[in-house]
Amino acid sequence: MSQSSSGNKLSFKLLDGKVVTEMWRSRFGIPPEAFEGYYFYERGKNIWIFSSSKIPDLRCDSLGVRSISTKGKVWKPSTYALQIFGPYATKNWIDLDWEDAGKFIAGLSQSLEADLDDGYVVVRYGGEVLGCGLYTHGMLVSQLPKERRIAEGGIENLPLRCER
Amino acid sequence: MDRLDRYASIIPDFEKFREAIARPLPPTVRINSLKTRRDGLLDRLDQGGVKFWPFGWYPFGLRLEVEKPGNLIESLMGHIHVQEEISMVPAVVLDPKPGETVLDLCAAPGSKTTQISQIMENMGVVVANDPSPQRIVSLRANCERMGALNVMVTKYDGRHFPKGSFDRVLVDAPCTGQGMARKDPSVLQRWSLKRSLGIQRLQASLLKRALYLTRPGGTIVYSTCTFAPEENEGVVSQVSGARLVNVEIPGLENRPGIEEWDGKVYGPEMERCARYYPHQNDTGGFFVSKFIRE
Repeated sequence: MSQSSSGNKLSFKLLDGKVVTEMWRSRFGIPPEAFEGYYFYERGKNIWIFSSSKIPDLRCDSLGVRSISTKGKVWKPSTYALQIFGPYATKNWIDLDWEDAGKFIAGLSQSLEADLDDGYVVVRYGGEVLGCGLYTHGMLVSQLPKERRIAEGGIENLPLRCER
Repeated sequence: MDRLDRYASIIPDFEKFREAIARPLPPTVRINSLKTRRDGLLDRLDQGGVKFWPFGWYPFGLRLEVEKPGNLIESLMGHIHVQEEISMVPAVVLDPKPGETVLDLCAAPGSKTTQISQIMENMGVVVANDPSPQRIVSLRANCERMGALNVMVTKYDGRHFPKGSFDRVLVDAPCTGQGMARKDPSVLQRWSLKRSLGIQRLQASLLKRALYLTRPGGTIVYSTCTFAPEENEGVVSQVSGARLVNVEIPGLENRPGIEEWDGKVYGPEMERCARYYPHQNDTGGFFVSKFIRE
């Protein structure tokens, strides 16, 4: 066992957990305890969350879940990380009604009045996390991965949950 | 010709077997306890007007009455995973514990990997291996969608997987797939004895490697989704250095493994293996065996 997997073109580097949990706390108010038992690794422009502080000494293709991309000016949380840790967010999250949720799932942008800081937000429906959205100047832009998007009307059980 | 008649002597109620295999499979999903709670999920399905029937033998399995379970909002959220009922058996038989180190030697597309991850409650490490770069893409995608934080993906030829001293290893081996006929009837036309015997060599190499990679006292599960004894008992009987233990899941009917076939004697211990036939539980077909490493 070693901390970096040998033989990788790009190897995974264990990060100081405090630095990464502070990023989640400051943007979303997610408490550091939500990440207890998990470790952050960096490879290239991505930060991954994995269950162990040690990586088996094998040539490794991926590790846990990609949680953050540091490619842009502002770090971007992944939809999959938000689906796991987004429920702990105390700010910069929004619950959509079924109609707007349908647009978000279809990958569309929509204008929306909401009490959110500009930047990446946790998008929910019925209290459950759908994924990552980008909120700027009153527009919510879906950041759902393309392969996860479903055209409007394609969700079998969405309209039935209308609570308006 | 589908060549299933060669099994008439080993499959009980062969006519019922034939009828069952001609019917399409009911849609089934696994509840992903890594991302949602079972009770809450069942409530939400109920409110959404989705009819479901939990499996009698496994609380996380559901039969659904929807055309495309992949288009439920719960699929998008990763709260459910479309998976055939009988393919949920090997991970349950493997019985991994939170905190262990487990190898899934032939992992893609990751249904069983993510089920193992779920049984381990996202603790410990699951090494999910597959040699095919294309299949690794779907393996990684499924692990991410299911929120499997304890899975590390590797891309070795399983026969030469380099090293390890794993607590448990799953070999869900490549096979001729006759048990998948209800999903894809063309598998039956593609079957030939030559194919079964060719793939048997690969399967035996994978199982032998799995034994080498398991710590003494550790568990190995070898499974396939085919009926051909050549790929099941014919592989299992080649193993030394591990003892077979009984495979039995309460609430799920099975037949024991067969002791001999086509002039070959596999041995009485084969009855510890389990054969699952489509007409027994209204599922696909599977073979599951379990070893303890000496």
